[in-house]
Amino acid sequence: MKTTNFLKVTVAASFLVASIASAGVITASKHDFSGKGWNGTGEICVVCHAPHNNLNAAGELLWNHTESTATYTVYSSPTFGQTAANPPSGASKLCLSCHDGTVALDSFGGATGGTFIGGGALLGTDLSNDHPISFPYTTAGEELNPTTATVNYADGTTGTIADLLFGADVECSSCHDVHNTKSNGGKLLLVDNAASALCLTCHAK
Amino acid sequence: MKLSGILVVVTTWFLFATPASAASVVNSVHNLSPTGPGTVRAAEDSGVCEFCHTSHMSSPVAALWNRRSAGSTYMPYSSSTAKASPGQPTGSSLLCLSCHDGTVALGDVLSRAAPISMAGGVTTMPPGRSNTTTDLRHHHPISFIYDSGLAGLQGELALPANLPPEIRMDSTGQMQCTSCHDPHDDSFGDFLVMPNQSSSLCLECHLKDGWPTTPHSQSGATWNGQLPDPWPVAQDQTVATNACRNCHENHQTGGGPNLLRNASRIDNCAACHNGNVASQDVMASFGKISTHPVASTADIHDPVESAVVIDRHVACSDCHNPHKPTPDQPGGGVRPAPQVRGVDLNNTEQSPATRVYQVCLRCHGDSPGKKTPLVRRQLDQDNVRAEIQPGNPSFHPVAGPGQNTDVPSLIPPWNEQSIMDCVDCHNSDSAVTQGGVKGPHGSSFEPILVRNYETTDFTRESPNSYALCYNCHNRNSILNDDSFGEHDKHISGEDSPCSACHDPHGISATQGNTTNNTHLINFDTTIVKPNSMGNLRFVDQGRFKGSCDLLCHGKNHRNKSY
Repeated sequence: MKTTNFLKVTVAASFLVASIASAGVITASKHDFSGKGWNGTGEICVVCHAPHNNLNAAGELLWNHTESTATYTVYSSPTFGQTAANPPSGASKLCLSCHDGTVALDSFGGATGGTFIGGGALLGTDLSNDHPISFPYTTAGEELNPTTATVNYADGTTGTIADLLFGADVECSSCHDVHNTKSNGGKLLLVDNAASALCLTCHAK
Repeated sequence: MKLSGILVVVTTWFLFATPASAASVVNSVHNLSPTGPGTVRAAEDSGVCEFCHTSHMSSPVAALWNRRSAGSTYMPYSSSTAKASPGQPTGSSLLCLSCHDGTVALGDVLSRAAPISMAGGVTTMPPGRSNTTTDLRHHHPISFIYDSGLAGLQGELALPANLPPEIRMDSTGQMQCTSCHDPHDDSFGDFLVMPNQSSSLCLECHLKDGWPTTPHSQSGATWNGQLPDPWPVAQDQTVATNACRNCHENHQTGGGPNLLRNASRIDNCAACHNGNVASQDVMASFGKISTHPVASTADIHDPVESAVVIDRHVACSDCHNPHKPTPDQPGGGVRPAPQVRGVDLNNTEQSPATRVYQVCLRCHGDSPGKKTPLVRRQLDQDNVRAEIQPGNPSFHPVAGPGQNTDVPSLIPPWNEQSIMDCVDCHNSDSAVTQGGVKGPHGSSFEPILVRNYETTDFTRESPNSYALCYNCHNRNSILNDDSFGEHDKHISGEDSPCSACHDPHGISATQGNTTNNTHLINFDTTIVKPNSMGNLRFVDQGRFKGSCDLLCHGKNHRNKSY
């Protein structure tokens, strides 16, 4: 009994330490694919970005992963006053090139791979059960904090909600810190969601 | 130890970091995380939102919902007066019930493989006010379409378009838990969408006619502290501030119909009218010898029953409208009728009644199964509607002025043109006392008579023996033989009660006639018998003149004139 408790404490403590240690760098984060068997390059960035000859004709974000051509079911609700763009716009579409599960993780740099995302990271093409993305953050008539409200990042720095928006829109990266620059590891959340602090950053419930 | 220290610091930091106002869900008992203020909360790290919502992989039932539906089969609300017929709960109400029906573990969320463990060994919703169970029969109905059609059909219901913005139907037009409750904001208590002081929330939808001026919405009466507590759930201090909740609850009623707080109808009235809140103890009247039998029959009452009562009973609400005041007494004359249904002289429903007697006629007119009259007469009649018809040969002037234009015994202000009410005779005996309980609730004198009225043969005449009659008919005038010249001889000399010859309600034209049955003459056949010729009759021969054929106290009257 005592041993079990001790183990639990140790494990919990090590996670706490590990997550703190990993903040600020992509290395060792969930988006560090350098050690993955399906990634023959052994590199971290190349799965998504390439400095030259990348797959994005416009060169935006130097995108190097094969994009999804899936059709999505997007979020809607009678109480959701906005319309989520379909297909999702901007950077969110790029996230979905892995996370909708239709394109293999190792389909990058022009190659066609065969290893697909799984587990909790697989959102599928039905996004109706996922928080909406690609919609304007509009506070009028909603229980939402103003764009000037403070954001307390997981790394202890602060910003405002406006900093989380892309243009005026909410995207995957409004919550998720894909490069793990400010997040606490785990689900790459910009704000540690203990006591739902991330949710309550925007939602004035 | 060190770890706990870190946890405390982290937790504290988040507490301060959370931009929570007083109205925030974070400060409400819906914050089931360890930081929540309630007694029911998680024993392990968890989010505030997590118990209901998730950002990914939510329930297919509703967007971002983090709970599975309970899958319970519910017993929905129904009542004889409800025009809506709610079936199984739908929409967001199902989501509320996934905690509140008590069948699903509170911590059982879709985003976790194992349920969040709760403190104190709690798993499902503990029994109590927050646990509706799957029996929703004693909860305000939910999951029904509330539209203008329903408002028109139900009556006394606001048009949905006129409701304040706080009260919302869901996207399908259905009323749901969320019409009254905002699960994220407990500013007004019970997570209500607006304050409910004096039932202001209830009254936004329920436009009860007359409610703004009824004593039940106006009275500042308070509880005197004598048990039982008239307001065990609502915490308000006066009748006016308890308002609807004096009698009704929206949840966890005691099993009574129509969301009444107590299972037995009378208990809802008795809670205040036992002298503990209302100034008068009406309930004491029901302990007397002769009463309206509310205790044993009130629960038979159904608001939609026929106007002429078939299944005989009496509930307080048969005679009283708790939502509507009885109009003020006009200057003199008959009493105003309570705002309840009645039956008129033609046996037609009057809603509301226009005269007090119409309320009485619901049971004492054509209603079947009446008790045998206390006095058996030559022309037996148990239908008061038949007895008081203004076309009758004689009748007490309830439905109109009497036939007799010469009644010297009448004590002013009564005169031959007067109209009276049933309750002038049938009333609680306490009504004669200043400040005493009025109304025909119960009396020491049968049948619910306001004063003593002897009907037994060989009763010694006294002011008390016929106090009921003498209250309007001057005893001296009667005993002075101002009208019938032999009154004194019969009443004082022979100890015959008034009722031996007079039938107080009247004699129906269908049975009697203007020769034999004027002056309320209809003999008590246990006292007055046919004479030696086999005749039993009175014959009216004009002003204060007549003759009798009868046998009484051994006296054989054969065409005996006076």
